[in-house]
Amino acid sequence: MGLSEEGTRPLGGRPSPPPSSPRIERAPRGPDRPPEQAILAAAVALARALRNYGMSASVDSELVFFRALAEVDVRNREELYWAAHATLVRNPDERVIFDAVFERFWEGQALVPARRGAEHGESDPRGGTKQHGGEALPQFGHQGEAKAPVDGEKNRGTRDIPTAEGDQGSSNQQKGILAAWSSTDTLSEQGKLQYQEDELAALRKLAEDIKKAAPERRSRRSRPNRAGHQLDMRRTLRNSLATDGEAFRLAFTAPATRPRRILFICDVSGSMERYSRVLLASLKAAVGAARKAEAFVFATRLTRLTRSLDGRDLEQALEQARAAVPDWSGGTRIGTTLADFNRTYGRRGFARGAIVLVVSDGWDRGDPKVLAGEVRRLQLQARRLVWVNPRPQEVDQQPLAIGMRAALPFIDEFIPGHDPRAVAGLARLISGAGSQRPNRRLPAGVEPAAVVDRMGPLGSTS
Amino acid sequence: MRGFSSIEELCRALTEQRYLVDEGLGTVVFLALRLRKPLLVEGEPGVGKTELAKALAAAAGAPLIRLQCYEGIDVHHALYDWDYPRQLLQLRAGGSSPLYSEEFLVRRPLLESLAQPGSVLLIDELDRADDEFEAFLLEFLSDFQVTIPEIGVMRAEHPPTVIITSNRTRDLHEALKRRCLYHWIDHPDLLREVAIARARLPEVGRRLADQVCAFVQDLRWLDLYRSPGVGETLDWAEAFHTLGRDQIDPATADRTLGVLLKERDDLERIRGKGLEGLVDRAAQRASELREDGASGDGLV
Repeated sequence: MGLSEEGTRPLGGRPSPPPSSPRIERAPRGPDRPPEQAILAAAVALARALRNYGMSASVDSELVFFRALAEVDVRNREELYWAAHATLVRNPDERVIFDAVFERFWEGQALVPARRGAEHGESDPRGGTKQHGGEALPQFGHQGEAKAPVDGEKNRGTRDIPTAEGDQGSSNQQKGILAAWSSTDTLSEQGKLQYQEDELAALRKLAEDIKKAAPERRSRRSRPNRAGHQLDMRRTLRNSLATDGEAFRLAFTAPATRPRRILFICDVSGSMERYSRVLLASLKAAVGAARKAEAFVFATRLTRLTRSLDGRDLEQALEQARAAVPDWSGGTRIGTTLADFNRTYGRRGFARGAIVLVVSDGWDRGDPKVLAGEVRRLQLQARRLVWVNPRPQEVDQQPLAIGMRAALPFIDEFIPGHDPRAVAGLARLISGAGSQRPNRRLPAGVEPAAVVDRMGPLGSTS
Repeated sequence: MRGFSSIEELCRALTEQRYLVDEGLGTVVFLALRLRKPLLVEGEPGVGKTELAKALAAAAGAPLIRLQCYEGIDVHHALYDWDYPRQLLQLRAGGSSPLYSEEFLVRRPLLESLAQPGSVLLIDELDRADDEFEAFLLEFLSDFQVTIPEIGVMRAEHPPTVIITSNRTRDLHEALKRRCLYHWIDHPDLLREVAIARARLPEVGRRLADQVCAFVQDLRWLDLYRSPGVGETLDWAEAFHTLGRDQIDPATADRTLGVLLKERDDLERIRGKGLEGLVDRAAQRASELREDGASGDGLV
């Protein structure tokens, strides 16, 4: 057990303790006695391996890990596991990687097929490497590949509805922002994402607009305000020091405002393929501009993109985001995707009080009752639920747009994406939405399934 | 505050408080105590995050000080404030003691935890507070000291044991996480939940406790909007007990289902699945438990 660089033999690799080093059979207890060199070397190797797999284990948490080793029995797998887990894992998404790496560590296998020379002591081990960020973790042992979908299928195979090729004829003539941006190259193709200079300029303009329009909500915090109605005792007392304790000059506060969360949930399935490229770029603009914006995309499953998009460099962020989504242009399951959102993020309060924008053509292969129920649930959590549809004229004619028709009664605002005036009003809508609650069409007690049952045949929705 | 010399001793002391921990949580809490590091606990609602701090305080014989976070919480709610009415009176009365002294200081939870030696400080649902508040906590959590401009730096002689809970409505800041140990609490498995129910509700019969736990374990696999937590399991067992039942039956289960499930969609879904089948299955699994000879005492 030396300090060799590659393939450092971790402790406890064999069932019985290593005979050559009896003194480290049990780590010394007590905070002031450092653990032995061999343990340190193995611990360094473990932390380095975790960093190599994209975990955020920093050098200072590594130091805490060393201290923790002195407190537990390093021959006991459970204790060692939890000591490392408590000090090196920072969020539940990292547990999959951690478990896999720890398993190799404990079994004494080589830890890292070293991808790049990670130097011990660097402050941010993730800088410079390509990240497959967001909530999608790199699959252990499969570098460069985003997490496989839960259902085990890889995007294109699951495509089950007609895509851009099939419906280009009818919608080529569309005018409007989303339509104007549509382009033949799509995200699912392998080539590098190409954006023209004027497109990038337009994106920066969009970001500016969103920044200006960013909605606000009242905070519980209060700020000094002459016109406020809440007496500020602290400042009043300060003022009265000058007047021998007579409170002549009263100070007031009023509630401050905070940015309201804006949540984008965008459809990138096959039928939306032509819009995906520009959607992604718009999301990047929005996430960069608004302080509390969150971006999700879905085809067959939901992917959170906020972290992938949160970089400085526009094009690099877009590339990262593309890599993070495993199912570009897959089939659409809006209902189950929204259910997924409601159960994971919604339950944790992501949509509560937020402005939620769903961008989708509403083509859905799932059960419209499920979709209606989930849209309803989302609406009840959100401050305002806005649905942007780039192909609104098909809602009444296209049988597959049944999902859209099922969702319509439960959304607060429907924006036809092909109409430039409507899209231009979107920013104003977002900013104004904070001031008043929407007037909801249906009371909270109405059953979504019953509404779907009463839905008329094609062409009857207004 | 009582110290613990080993993980086993700590687990035993927590068990005496009727809080059962598995080896993972036991190790992490032990490390938090020994390394004097704050412990950040995350997990689904209802897995006993807050309860952990209460049990730890009771086990260590230490005072528990709780800071419930909410949006807009600031220094005056978390750290200290001044007793303005008394200050004004003092000013009017022409008293001699300085206005900004400890005499007029109102201690809020964080300051209180520094003043009380060896206390357990629970910072509950930190994700509800603004991110600025997290930045404010950094000084406190790394040095266990606070700066009050009018008085100076106040430091703890015996730093408190800090437990922070979060429901992950947002990611906490890296800088804060770096200062903490981390643990994610899962829902307990059947054996552990049975042990918890038996420990927490000694008055409830074993058969009933086992059946209720088996029933809830099944529900957690059903992908509900809001899976019942341990607290709800205990409430439900108590509900049956209060109604004079010593085992679960479909009719009573139907009437009391609102104790367990609090979403209309979930209720309808479970009723639609047929309570008879679920109740039968739970009874079956509970009887298997007893036949295996698994007893609550051996599980801890």
